[in-house]
Amino acid sequence: MNVTRRTFLKMTGLSVVAVASGLGINLSVAEARAYTLKLEGCTKIPSICHFCSGGCGLLLHIKDGKLVHLEGDPDNPINEGALCPKAASLEQVAYSEVRPKTPLYRAPGAEDWQEISWDEAIERIAKKAVEVRDKTWKSTDEITTKTGEKKIVPANRAEGIAVIGSAEIDNEESYMLSKFSRLIGTPFHEHQARI
Amino acid sequence: MSPSFGRGAMTNSWQDMGNSQCFLIAGSNCAENHPISMKWINRARAKGAKMIVVDPRFTRTAAQADVYAQIRPGTDIAYLGAMINYYIENKLYDEFYVLNFTNALLKVSKDYKFEDGLFSGFNPETKKYDYSTWAYQLDADNKPIKATSLDDPDCVFQKLKEHFSRYTFDVAAEISGIPADKIKLIADTFAENRPGSILYALGMTQHTTAVQGIRCYAIIQLLLGNIGKAGGGVQALRGEPNVQGSTDMANLIANLPGYLPYPTNAEVTLHDYAVRYGAVQHKPLVALLKAWFGKNATAENDYGYGWLPKNDPTNMPTQVEFFNWMDKGQFKMLFNWGSNSTVSIPDRKMVLRGLSKLEMLVVADVFEIETAQFWREPGVDPKSIQTEVIFLPAAFVYEKAGSMTNSSRLVQWKEKALEPLNGCWPDLDMIDRIFIKMRELLAGSTDPKDEPILKANWDYDDGHGEASPLKVLQELNGYNDNTGQLTASLGEYLNAPIGTVSTGCWIYAGVTPPGKNLADRRNNTDPTGLGLHQEYAYAWPGNIRVLYNRASCDANGQPVDPERKLIWWDAASGTWTGNDNPDVADKTKGPDTPEGKMAFRMTPEGVGRLFAASYTSGVPTSPVPADSIAAIPTRGAGMTVDGPLPEFYEPIESPTTNKLHPNVQNNPCAKIVSTEFGDPEEYPYVLTTYGVCEHFCAGGITRNIPYLNEIMPEPFAEISKNLAKKIGVKDGDKVEISSMRGKVVVRALVTDRLQTLNVNGKETETIGMPWSWGFASLNPGPSTNTVTMAALDPGAGTPEYKCCLVNARRA
Amino acid sequence: MTKRMVFVDTSLCTGCKACSVACKAWNDLPAEKNQLITSYQAQASTTHNTWTYISMHEKYENGKMEWLMFKHQCYHCAEPSCMKACPAEAIYQTDSGYTIIDQNKCIGCGYCVANCPWGVPKTDPELKKTFKCTGCIDRVENGLLPACVATCQPGALHFGEPEEMKQIAEVRLAEVKKDFPKAQLYGDKAMGGTTYLYLLKEEPAFYGLPENPTTSASLVVWKDWVQPYGIWLIPIALGASAVSFVTTRIINSMSKSKGGDIHG
Repeated sequence: MNVTRRTFLKMTGLSVVAVASGLGINLSVAEARAYTLKLEGCTKIPSICHFCSGGCGLLLHIKDGKLVHLEGDPDNPINEGALCPKAASLEQVAYSEVRPKTPLYRAPGAEDWQEISWDEAIERIAKKAVEVRDKTWKSTDEITTKTGEKKIVPANRAEGIAVIGSAEIDNEESYMLSKFSRLIGTPFHEHQARI
Repeated sequence: MSPSFGRGAMTNSWQDMGNSQCFLIAGSNCAENHPISMKWINRARAKGAKMIVVDPRFTRTAAQADVYAQIRPGTDIAYLGAMINYYIENKLYDEFYVLNFTNALLKVSKDYKFEDGLFSGFNPETKKYDYSTWAYQLDADNKPIKATSLDDPDCVFQKLKEHFSRYTFDVAAEISGIPADKIKLIADTFAENRPGSILYALGMTQHTTAVQGIRCYAIIQLLLGNIGKAGGGVQALRGEPNVQGSTDMANLIANLPGYLPYPTNAEVTLHDYAVRYGAVQHKPLVALLKAWFGKNATAENDYGYGWLPKNDPTNMPTQVEFFNWMDKGQFKMLFNWGSNSTVSIPDRKMVLRGLSKLEMLVVADVFEIETAQFWREPGVDPKSIQTEVIFLPAAFVYEKAGSMTNSSRLVQWKEKALEPLNGCWPDLDMIDRIFIKMRELLAGSTDPKDEPILKANWDYDDGHGEASPLKVLQELNGYNDNTGQLTASLGEYLNAPIGTVSTGCWIYAGVTPPGKNLADRRNNTDPTGLGLHQEYAYAWPGNIRVLYNRASCDANGQPVDPERKLIWWDAASGTWTGNDNPDVADKTKGPDTPEGKMAFRMTPEGVGRLFAASYTSGVPTSPVPADSIAAIPTRGAGMTVDGPLPEFYEPIESPTTNKLHPNVQNNPCAKIVSTEFGDPEEYPYVLTTYGVCEHFCAGGITRNIPYLNEIMPEPFAEISKNLAKKIGVKDGDKVEISSMRGKVVVRALVTDRLQTLNVNGKETETIGMPWSWGFASLNPGPSTNTVTMAALDPGAGTPEYKCCLVNARRA
Repeated sequence: MTKRMVFVDTSLCTGCKACSVACKAWNDLPAEKNQLITSYQAQASTTHNTWTYISMHEKYENGKMEWLMFKHQCYHCAEPSCMKACPAEAIYQTDSGYTIIDQNKCIGCGYCVANCPWGVPKTDPELKKTFKCTGCIDRVENGLLPACVATCQPGALHFGEPEEMKQIAEVRLAEVKKDFPKAQLYGDKAMGGTTYLYLLKEEPAFYGLPENPTTSASLVVWKDWVQPYGIWLIPIALGASAVSFVTTRIINSMSKSKGGDIHG
């Protein structure tokens, strides 16, 4: 949605007059004052707010695959339709012009990004992860047991890889990342729960 | 909370706040940072509930309070200790509750001591405690010995009484700056209006005494009989949309999903692990390994236990320490998911140094956050930074299906509402593709270290080339080998023999029974009017909405509060039943049985813990079972590493000396990560940091939302009128705030909402700054964490963002 | 639709500003570039792109701090002076009590702006149209709550039948008065009674509000004398230089507008 485009109150009626303005805005006004909602013909899809841990319900009104409006979900028993300013503003993320269009790559010492394809991004990451894993692999640790004896035990750690997970992604993603780290050999997996 | 109650989660729910008679909101600015709370708090206030707010600043929450107290940052334990002392001295506690549902009567080891600021067992070299003296006196069966009355000098209750006797209102007032009569008013108001609920958030946890502050809350609520009841509880208002879920999923170094202890290198085999942590952790670990390695996990190969990387207890950095480890050269590659570390981590210089040493940084986020572009922060020469960076643009929350778990453990499912903008990927697909690509690169390898990747159970394809979130949730729910089906309930998982069920996270077992997704339930009816909404989505564990609800019943298993009935014992059917799902070990064991009496079944003693003793139930007695694995499930207590009882310590950077024990100024176990610290001569003012209602955390998303930038366009420093006068600053002027670690210049907001405090006889100024800004986005601004310090709570690893010493001058 | 009312309980407002954001989101209004003004307030007044906002007011007296909030938007008066002032007859009232600017008729003259006792409507200099809160008439007529009311988490905004709203307001007033003796209702006696009824914790002046909002005398002159007899009388009738730019704009707009027959 382009927020610079203003939707005027829409009324249906007998004599609809269209006034073209410099901004190309269509002013539909009529004699009979039956007010139509911009939500007409929309599908309602509930979702969940992305900010604090309240879990407030959002309701997205979608028409032709486009977000027409977002507000609180009146059927969610936590918020009963009410939203704080952060949640109420969330429709501005859907078509934000500052959202990146492709994966970005920054070479060592470079002063700017270059756009790369998803395939290239995934390939570069996977290759590097394999490389770092190989060169920093620690297969054993030496430990001292309670009785004071030294012992060589398995470690199986990719010492050089750290993962910072997220409290802002879904459970499924969070779990998959947790599993990913440990499968590739890094127990060094933390996230912002501590901060 | 885990050391007190057995689980670390918020006890009640948002809707349940509507049932309270009183709120103690301290360490939470809920009207700003958890605004939905005000909906339910106001429902309760409309019925006469009282609202107490304790905060270093007069916040938008304080503006709603019946009682407000301005406190010096980091001194909560002083006034909370005085409340505990007052409740004990004046017998304001709930005696039935204390006797039946807490460890008040259990006898403490005669070796336990507290002297001049230190508990027994302190090792000054390692800065760690040996917990062995924080024990109970045990009988021949290794069971704690119970005193016959609360007057027994050895019992927990008397230890508690003695410990807190030093915390008088006057002492607390001198330390905290809250007048003594105000502390008494808070104590009286909270005791007189029950059930009372305590709300806290980062204001309580971002200290080097974080865990012990929360322990005070637990003790107060156990004394007053407020846990397990509708309208009661301790509400940990978690900071992020899915931080409950992400901790459930073990995005933490010391855990595996479902809060299993992460295996260390000392537990070489699965058997070692089982011996150390007991059957209670053994079974879910096997179920987890089955989820991770599928058919390749067999009893013969220890279910693939050997494939797990093992922690080295001498090398276990927590998040803030990660950046130091990078700086020291251990980490070469960092995956940074949905987290804006360069804005959010204290002592930003340290963060920058760390990131600059990496070979590769991978950042996944919705917007191009500061962390992704750390190499071009103003003042940094990109040419000097050799880190390769890859940024992956992520789909936003409503552009993907999946579930999130809110603060009150409610797992809510959402469908995809919109196609991701610009073809961005859900994080799920990114992780999936990276893993699959790594597996491709390693295909055919015979190197044992590649086995976990090659043998993993990893197939999430939805049939259209994308990863299916539902498939993942079903993996969390788990499968039962006997039926070949999804596990139908938590009970089915618990009753199945070890090795016959899988689950990626055992506390989520039952969320997706065959053909259903309980997280997607949308029946919002509430027949009791108590806000339980039992048929809406799914709360772990076992859809319980009010944790420890057994404590809401009397000795006969009947609700003590007729207006707020949660559960009860139905003698006719011989089961626990009720409006909520009963939080009992066995629904068929009546209130006169040991199991039926147990209100805190997740602690080793089965009761709430006023004193956090080192104690492990189920320790095998003689003869030791042949397999050495405890016959009775071993249940270790969550430990407080810095003491069995809370004690007040000054913040690491403090304007004054510790009034209770000048020789032990700070938490002796605190982890110090920063290297530069200031003294009050040079940095006389106390800085506290926080978020505002209009922005979220590090601002990575909200500073890119024009509507929010409009209503909160810039960062600021709030200072009192006295301080403004002293340093010659007017409202709206630019002011420089500096610490030993760095300085920032922001707008001065001169206000009466901060007052000069009298602390230990000295005038003390508090400065407040929001921290949500960084150098990028539509709304750039200086990052407050340039100034803050990295000193961590020894148990939780939380940094002391809430207090550090600064200077202020007109810029 | 029968009459409706919004009760603004400022004693419960937390100043979160969600109402302002929700209003913009519903009405597709763009964000404006701001700076902090005072306290946590960044919006100075209503504008053609900001139809509702919160002002913040700090007060420290006898060791007690107060942080009071006030929600500004069109009051939707029973006797709206803007409607009386509008030379284009672009402003009308609905049965539900709302005062609406018909954008098709509006000529952006700004006369309503000058004549609102609270200065609510604002003219978009580019579009030459005047804008203000519509009361979310489109939502209300279709069974939805006004966007600001729907989003309010602390429950400071209520929407319903006037009698019900007045009852809630009286109960709340009695409660709030216990601690705030100056607490009072606001709007019920102004401009024939407003559709937005307020509970204030302090006197109106504390929030910068007029104690007794009225239709200005000059507007009476305009409406009852000038309008019936002709535009040419305006400069003579009003004389005041302060409003002359407005009248010039009116005259210019009228002469260009097809539907400019204001005697019609």
